[in-house]
Amino acid sequence: MNLPNYQPDPSLTTRYLFFTGKGGVGKTSLSCATALKLAEAGKRVLLVSTDPASNLDEVLETKLTNAPTPIAGAPGLDALNINPVEAAAAYRERLIGPMRGLLPEAALRSMEEQLSGSCTVEIAAFDEFSGLIGNPEAVKGYDHVIFDTAPTGHTLRLMSLAKAWDQFLDTNTSGTSCLGPLAGLEKQRVIYEGTVKTLADASATTLLLVSRPQLAALREAERTSKELRALGVGNQRLVINGVFETKCPDDLTSQAMQQRGLAALAAAQEFISSLPSFIVPLRPINILGIGGLRVLLDGHGQAAEVTPQRNDWSLPEMGSLQDLVADIEKQGSGVIMTMGKGGVGKTTVAAAIAVMLARRGHSVHLSTTDPAAHVAQTLAGQVDGLTLSKIDPAAETAAYQAEVMNAQGAAMDEAGRSLLEEDLRSPCTEEIAVFRAFAREVGQGTNRFVVLDTAPTGHTLLLLDASEAYQRELERQARSTQPEEVLRLLERLRDPAFTRILLVTLPEATPVHEAAALQEDLRRARIEPFAWIINQSLLQSGSCDPLLQRREEAEHPYLREVVEKHATRTAWLPWQPEEPTGPEALARLAASSLEPALI
Amino acid sequence: MKTIQVYDPPMCCSTGICGTDIDPDLVNFAAMLAQLGARGLKIERYNLGQQPMAFAQNPAVKSLLEKEGTEALPVIFLDGEIYLKGRYPTKEERPALFRTALGEEAEVAP
Repeated sequence: MNLPNYQPDPSLTTRYLFFTGKGGVGKTSLSCATALKLAEAGKRVLLVSTDPASNLDEVLETKLTNAPTPIAGAPGLDALNINPVEAAAAYRERLIGPMRGLLPEAALRSMEEQLSGSCTVEIAAFDEFSGLIGNPEAVKGYDHVIFDTAPTGHTLRLMSLAKAWDQFLDTNTSGTSCLGPLAGLEKQRVIYEGTVKTLADASATTLLLVSRPQLAALREAERTSKELRALGVGNQRLVINGVFETKCPDDLTSQAMQQRGLAALAAAQEFISSLPSFIVPLRPINILGIGGLRVLLDGHGQAAEVTPQRNDWSLPEMGSLQDLVADIEKQGSGVIMTMGKGGVGKTTVAAAIAVMLARRGHSVHLSTTDPAAHVAQTLAGQVDGLTLSKIDPAAETAAYQAEVMNAQGAAMDEAGRSLLEEDLRSPCTEEIAVFRAFAREVGQGTNRFVVLDTAPTGHTLLLLDASEAYQRELERQARSTQPEEVLRLLERLRDPAFTRILLVTLPEATPVHEAAALQEDLRRARIEPFAWIINQSLLQSGSCDPLLQRREEAEHPYLREVVEKHATRTAWLPWQPEEPTGPEALARLAASSLEPALI
Repeated sequence: MKTIQVYDPPMCCSTGICGTDIDPDLVNFAAMLAQLGARGLKIERYNLGQQPMAFAQNPAVKSLLEKEGTEALPVIFLDGEIYLKGRYPTKEERPALFRTALGEEAEVAP
């Protein structure tokens, strides 16, 4: 397959650009590099991250806010982060601020509590997002607005929300019904209609599906492509980032890496040729700063030609996943959650732990909260004692609607039932349904092992935020019909003997720093992570390929940083010549450890 | 034409489905208001989470909030007089409110 290199052409580029794809495929680097190119061609560019765990700050080496900030060294380029929690805080302040002194303190506090719920958080972020794309006035100074979106699940939700709210407002009969914090109905409506229209306009919007030359990522790009087409987003391109060609044909690791990529591309050939597709070659360095971004689209591995220097590096102490599981096993039951940035291998690590526990004779349930997960493909086979499930937002919402109608509908008259039914179709309901499903899966850990593969950081943070908001609301209420697993969720997540949080990372800057920030957030919520898992390390790969040698060497400071600065306990996993799918490969991966002889 | 004004506690929706719990009296009451509205009554509904200014501008509501806190919510007015406070009308109370609002001869729907 001969694909052209990706280059943003200022004369062909639409005003709105969306970068989406699985976590870890390079959405942030590519959207930044594209923004930089366009700005260097003399365009005015606004770069926007919608990821609750945005990495724009780190990549652009600039502290960003929710207002456009100029990027030093890149004239014409501004960037901003839409942080849902901050957007909700700003929204709260807009409502509450003017009331200070006019209403008693208790009333203000009660407003604040209500406006801290997950519904407000999601809608406040969605509101800012649709304000940028559905309202031409908001971005009139810019030639291009580039969105670096959160990993797929969240992005689909964001884009489908425009349609969902637009339709809900269309079919809403009572007018006073569940609009959540959408005050000023008519104004919002124009913006949502504008959002839906702009997304569907091929002369205004391009969707760039970003992938790695890796099967799971390509499959996810394909699914996303279909779903967004169904939502009307039809002008799509595919960019395959990190394509690797070895310069060292005799070496097993580099051969395997090249082979793995080629095999994935061949398997996805039909999808790749169904739309304009481009590649970006693998680079030897972490893409950080304006200089790094230039290397991404222009650089021909000048860095790769530098001879690797063996510095005074000494291997920090890292255990194996096997030892970790042996420790977890002692408890007999409980919840194990893998968390971290998208693309670090949370699903693989979760599946490997589940297989290992099941093979040791335990009853294990493996589940995911990631709307875009591929647990079943990763596991690819039956294991005795291991069951699988996935929190499917649509199914959970339908079940929740039915449950509420059954439980509450009975006490209602016909008119009440039909109003409730209408409100239950509000997009807000999905948040509650998913949250309850999450609580239910955690609750299952009382009598067996539950391994939960969570969605990428941003989504997980919002879920935890919702847990806290719920807890506060419950504490205020005398009466509750909530199931026990919802009532005890936060308590269980905070119990280190019940819930073991594993932070999964790659030995690279952004995943490590994102995991460290997540650890801080968890600690603020009084949840202490159990261990860090460093995945896909090239250490001891013994590759003779100069690019891979550079990448292996680039791991060193991050391995040290994890062990010495962040983790109380660390397990190390090597990069695998074959994608670890299926019980055998997963068990082999989990059993791997560093060879002391090679140190 | 009679007027019903409702000052709700802060909530996400008029049926409260986004909260931790759903109050059937609230949902039925919301449905009843829709029916009354359809029969020509003037219905005004304010939610502390979304229209706080309405609370500050109504001296009766403001003073209730000062004296009793948010426990006083919801406050339901019929033609400017407080009809009920602190809760929504129950199943047993709704027919009376419905009749009073429409005039005694009205057929009891809910």
